[in-house]
Amino acid sequence: MNNDWSILCARLSFWFSRLMAMTTKELIQFGRDILLLFAIVYLFVFDTYMAGNVTMQLNKAIVTVHDADHSAASRELIYRFRPPYFKLGGEVLDNYAGQRLLDQGRALVVLNIPSDFAHDITKGKSVDVQVQVDASNTVLGFLASSYTTQIIGQYSYDQALARLGVNEQALENVPTVRNEYRVWYNPNQKDAWFMPISELLVVITIMGIMLPAAAAVREKERGTIEQLMVSPLTPIQILLSKVIAMTLVILLGTAVSLFLVLHGIFAVPMKGSLVLFFAVTTLYIFTTAGLGLYIATLSRNLAQAALLAILVLMPMIFLSGAWTPPEAMPMGLRQAMYISPLYYFIEMAYAILLKGAGLDILWDSLLGLALIGGLIFGFGVWRFRRQFE
Amino acid sequence: MDQTALVDDDPPVVRVREFVKRYSKLTAADGVSLDIRRGEIYGLIGPDGAGKSSLMKAIAGVLSFEGGSVEVFGQTIDSEAAAEKVKGRLGFMPQGLGLNLYPELSVEENIDFFAELREVTPVLLAERKRKLLAMTRLDRFLDRPMKQLSGGMKQKLGLVCTLIHEPDLIILDEPTTGVDPVSRRDFWTILTQLLRERSVTALVSTAYMDEAERFQRLSLMFGGLVVAKGAPEVILHDVPGTLVELTIAAQVEALVRLEKRFTQVEAVGSKIKVFVPDVTPQAASAQIQELLIGMEIEQIQVEEPSFEDAFIALLQRRHLARKEEDSSVGKVWRDGEPPLGDGIAIVARELTSDFDHFRAVDRVSFEVRQGEIFGLLGANGAGKTTVIKMLTGIRPPTGGAGTVAGADMRRASQSVKERIGYVSQAFSLYQDMKVQENLRLFARIYGVPGRQISERIDRVVQLAGLGSVYNQLVGKLPMGIRQRLALACALVHGPLVLFLDEPTSGVDPIGRRRFWKILVHLARVEHVAILLTTHYMSEAEHCDHLALMHAGKVIADDTPAALKTALEQEAGQVLDLAAEPVLSALEALEQAGFVDAALFGRRIHLLIKDVDEATSRIGACLSERNILLLDITPRAPSLEDVFVHRILQQERQEAPP
Repeated sequence: MNNDWSILCARLSFWFSRLMAMTTKELIQFGRDILLLFAIVYLFVFDTYMAGNVTMQLNKAIVTVHDADHSAASRELIYRFRPPYFKLGGEVLDNYAGQRLLDQGRALVVLNIPSDFAHDITKGKSVDVQVQVDASNTVLGFLASSYTTQIIGQYSYDQALARLGVNEQALENVPTVRNEYRVWYNPNQKDAWFMPISELLVVITIMGIMLPAAAAVREKERGTIEQLMVSPLTPIQILLSKVIAMTLVILLGTAVSLFLVLHGIFAVPMKGSLVLFFAVTTLYIFTTAGLGLYIATLSRNLAQAALLAILVLMPMIFLSGAWTPPEAMPMGLRQAMYISPLYYFIEMAYAILLKGAGLDILWDSLLGLALIGGLIFGFGVWRFRRQFE
Repeated sequence: MDQTALVDDDPPVVRVREFVKRYSKLTAADGVSLDIRRGEIYGLIGPDGAGKSSLMKAIAGVLSFEGGSVEVFGQTIDSEAAAEKVKGRLGFMPQGLGLNLYPELSVEENIDFFAELREVTPVLLAERKRKLLAMTRLDRFLDRPMKQLSGGMKQKLGLVCTLIHEPDLIILDEPTTGVDPVSRRDFWTILTQLLRERSVTALVSTAYMDEAERFQRLSLMFGGLVVAKGAPEVILHDVPGTLVELTIAAQVEALVRLEKRFTQVEAVGSKIKVFVPDVTPQAASAQIQELLIGMEIEQIQVEEPSFEDAFIALLQRRHLARKEEDSSVGKVWRDGEPPLGDGIAIVARELTSDFDHFRAVDRVSFEVRQGEIFGLLGANGAGKTTVIKMLTGIRPPTGGAGTVAGADMRRASQSVKERIGYVSQAFSLYQDMKVQENLRLFARIYGVPGRQISERIDRVVQLAGLGSVYNQLVGKLPMGIRQRLALACALVHGPLVLFLDEPTSGVDPIGRRRFWKILVHLARVEHVAILLTTHYMSEAEHCDHLALMHAGKVIADDTPAALKTALEQEAGQVLDLAAEPVLSALEALEQAGFVDAALFGRRIHLLIKDVDEATSRIGACLSERNILLLDITPRAPSLEDVFVHRILQQERQEAPP
């Protein structure tokens, strides 16, 4: 009995020693690949940094004016289109010129002020101003038209009050409804919190698929797999070593990005348990590694693997809510989101980092990721082993 | 010979001066100059990386170059437009079996496609196709897709496609690499006939030193330089020396003594070959006997040095041979484990392997003893690699059984894997890792205990002479050193059985000899069993035992000496004759009933039982037709003769009556 135990232990220690030898080898090779190192640094540091600088608001969108009135009143309206959201792009002499600028994409908004603007306002008549918006980019068009409506509405409100002779004190007696809302989790609604987290999660996904796939395909491409096949290594040891090494690399990249860029530069709060965050990330990387290994079994070289990875990545990201919120999806696609592992990962990552959520709240998402991850990884392993037979 | 002499005054078809080609930092050709005359077969001989392909591509006008000039048919090739002007007059066949052909197209479709590309009119095409197909004996396979042809047939089809527009110059890049000796012989005969008939000029490259005598003139290339050029016999003449062959009981001791004095000493099977430069045969023999005084020499004889000997001597003379540290081969590095049980290391019984549609290996049986070097010989696709894959446990056999290093390969493939070392055909170590990192990785994979790893690595590094490159990246090492590293990695766990799949293809002759020295040491001193595959006939001589494979079957299985003796008893000696004009002589001999007469460069070989009777018959037959018989000598058959004879015999048996 005792003897059996010691044999088993010796076997296990050999098994692990082989696995570690292979993992070390993967890390050495990774360290020698300048292009991969560059990609890792770029994606985890610079890409997430750039994402933090992008906002989802208008940034100095160009407004061109056709002012037929040239009055004090029209000027007051025009000067309400100010940075940071808008920037005046000058005046045009007629409506057609404004239209042309829209066509050429040199203005986002064209404001048309009729010639009797000031006259009618002082007369107390209502006036129409025409706003033309380039909505070829729907998000921009939507933002521009809603901001413009707000500015003109405010101007009209101010004019009406002035006309009525209502001053600051009297304003308190005018009945108005004010909405007092509370924004939770990101009180200043900073895009610099949302965007880089989302970007980081996408980067983890890309690397999680590509790195194991590349490591596996490289062996095939360079013929080194042959030498491994005649060695006492089992297919499990070959693939696990790749997954472990690449998981370590990605976790390191994630840590650098999280502490240096997200927390260090953009002051993203890390409210929840970091242990939980990295545990979830590890589980997620194993899931994507399963996909990567499957891709590697289908491809003969790195180019094919990269192409297949893109085919897998696109729906995965699209169905995750990273680029489009689930609330904006049609029902069918919203159901389909439950099969994208990235969906669960995003939910949990935001909840842990911004809300400080723990396992008591996230257990169902974690279960979902574990189930899908287990299936995908198991499938990847099965396919990878099968190609040796 | 006369033909070339007649046209000597013509301007050369190809004139290359101070040709330089660089690939970023690597210089592929460094100041190569040569002239190719009309109607000759000009050879470029050298190992991989000598610069042959670069030079050929530049002459074919498909590669730009950094320095010097290339003239083809008097046209200076300095631009794409200039190359375009002569492209219609030349044909180029790139390296690799059937690489310029389309695998899905049939034989005829391939030919038609090339004809269309070259704008050959239908009438001319029909006539040329008929002639070329008959000559290459491909006419029976018109409808067969190219991918289903054997290596030799692919090369013949490639030749037909290259010749379909009747070019004045053909450039063939290593047409015989990886082709079995029978097809090689066939290929050369066809080429010679075709060229003589139309006085086409040919530039042909090869990595086989023993093909040198097939060329009228040649350039020996190494590392981007031309080491020697001229007619083969002129080159041999310029490197005077004698090859001494001796058999001696205390081989290891004799080798040590000889190596102190001579640079080219080689153990080949039970023999030792020594190249003694500059002296007469008698003096050479005397020198060696003096060195080995006090030792009993069983047999000693002198031979003409081979082309390979001359090549190595030339390299050494010009100090091009890399100076490397000596591998201390005299050391016993394995931990004195006794050989396994009955001394049988590998047993294969009726091994069979079926792929989807065909039987790759058909009931192959053999035995390899501990300390024996066993060679599996055969063409590409004969089934050698599949046999190795089954024995190493990568591929389960369809039928049959085998034991490797005491473990059943069917049931205990994991134990087999732990006990063997394996060096694969293509280099399959990690090029982005250092020499020591590779060694450490394989030591750990094969379960060398942590405490012993450093010591083991030290030993194999010493054995393979890798000390000076220990910390270098593998990708930057030359081919020869890489192969020794692959060997070191395969040996790091001290295996009793070593599998080598074409370990030396592409390695230069010096590197090959160095590699063999280690193998001989492993077998003789360490009693490691070595099973290797090769298609170099000169390498087969090193083996203690040979199995010839053809179409999945073992067709002969014995020691090299016994194989030769058996052939001699069965079919006689080889008669080596030179005649002028040689093609008419060949035709005459074939008509006179010498069916197996084969063209060998400018000489003819035939197997003859009764030498004296045949000599007089041949003399009479040739003089009758006014063919000049220059010389005629009988000699013992070589392994290549054995190989060709056995395969032809097999094919005749299999052919439908």
